[in-house]
Amino acid sequence: MTTASVGIVLVSHSAELAEGAANLAAQVSGGTVTIVAAGGTDDGDLGTSAAKVEDALRQADQGAGVVVLPDLGSAVLTVRAVLEDYGSAGSVLLADAPFVEGAVAATVIAAAGGDLKAVAAAAEEARHARKL
Amino acid sequence: MPASCEQEIMLTGDLHARPAGALAVAAGRFAAVIRVTVGDRTADAKSVLSVMGLGATSGQHVTVSAAGPDAQEAVAALVAILSEATKVGG
Repeated sequence: MTTASVGIVLVSHSAELAEGAANLAAQVSGGTVTIVAAGGTDDGDLGTSAAKVEDALRQADQGAGVVVLPDLGSAVLTVRAVLEDYGSAGSVLLADAPFVEGAVAATVIAAAGGDLKAVAAAAEEARHARKL
Repeated sequence: MPASCEQEIMLTGDLHARPAGALAVAAGRFAAVIRVTVGDRTADAKSVLSVMGLGATSGQHVTVSAAGPDAQEAVAALVAILSEATKVGG
C-alpha cells in the first residue's frame, strides 16, 4: 500500500513505560506503523512533558493523522494543552483507552490500513477485550 | 465468487502476540467478516486482542471462517499465516 498509516503517540508518566509499550505494539503489528513514545518530564523524571508530546505528534504524523493514548488521566491535561496550540489539531484524536491493550489494538488497525477514526475506535474498544 | 468460506487448521505452535498480530493485520485488509474459532470460543480475526484472548495452543484445531466478497482469499491468507506464524511463537 502506498497510502500513509495513521501514526500513534504514547504519552506516559514513565519514559520506560512509553518506550516499552511502543516496542511491544511495533513487534505485534509488524513494524510498519510510526509509533512515538512521549514519556517522562524534560528532566527525565516521572511526569509528562508538553515539549515531548508536541515533538511526538510531529514525528508520528505521516499524513493520515495521529491517535494519542495517555497512560493516566493527568497525561490528558498535558495533551490537551499541547493540542490547543497545535497547528494540525484536527488530525489528532485523543483515545480514552487502556494503555497497553489500546496501543497494541490501535497499531494493528493502523497497520491494516485503518483510517483515523477506525484506529481510535480500536483503541477505545480495547477496554472490552477479555484476557481470560 | 463465494459469499462464505471456512477452513480448519491444526496449530503447530501457540498463538502468541506476534502471530496474533500478523493474523489481525492481514484480516484487516479484507472486506469480509472473518472469525477464528477454537473449541467453543470465537474471535473477530480483525481484533488482535480478541484473537490473543482465545488462548489457542499448539495442537489445537482452529477454524477460520469468512463471509463477504473476498471471503475465499481471506481464509486462504489467514490459514497460511496461521501455519507459518505459529511455528516460531513469540
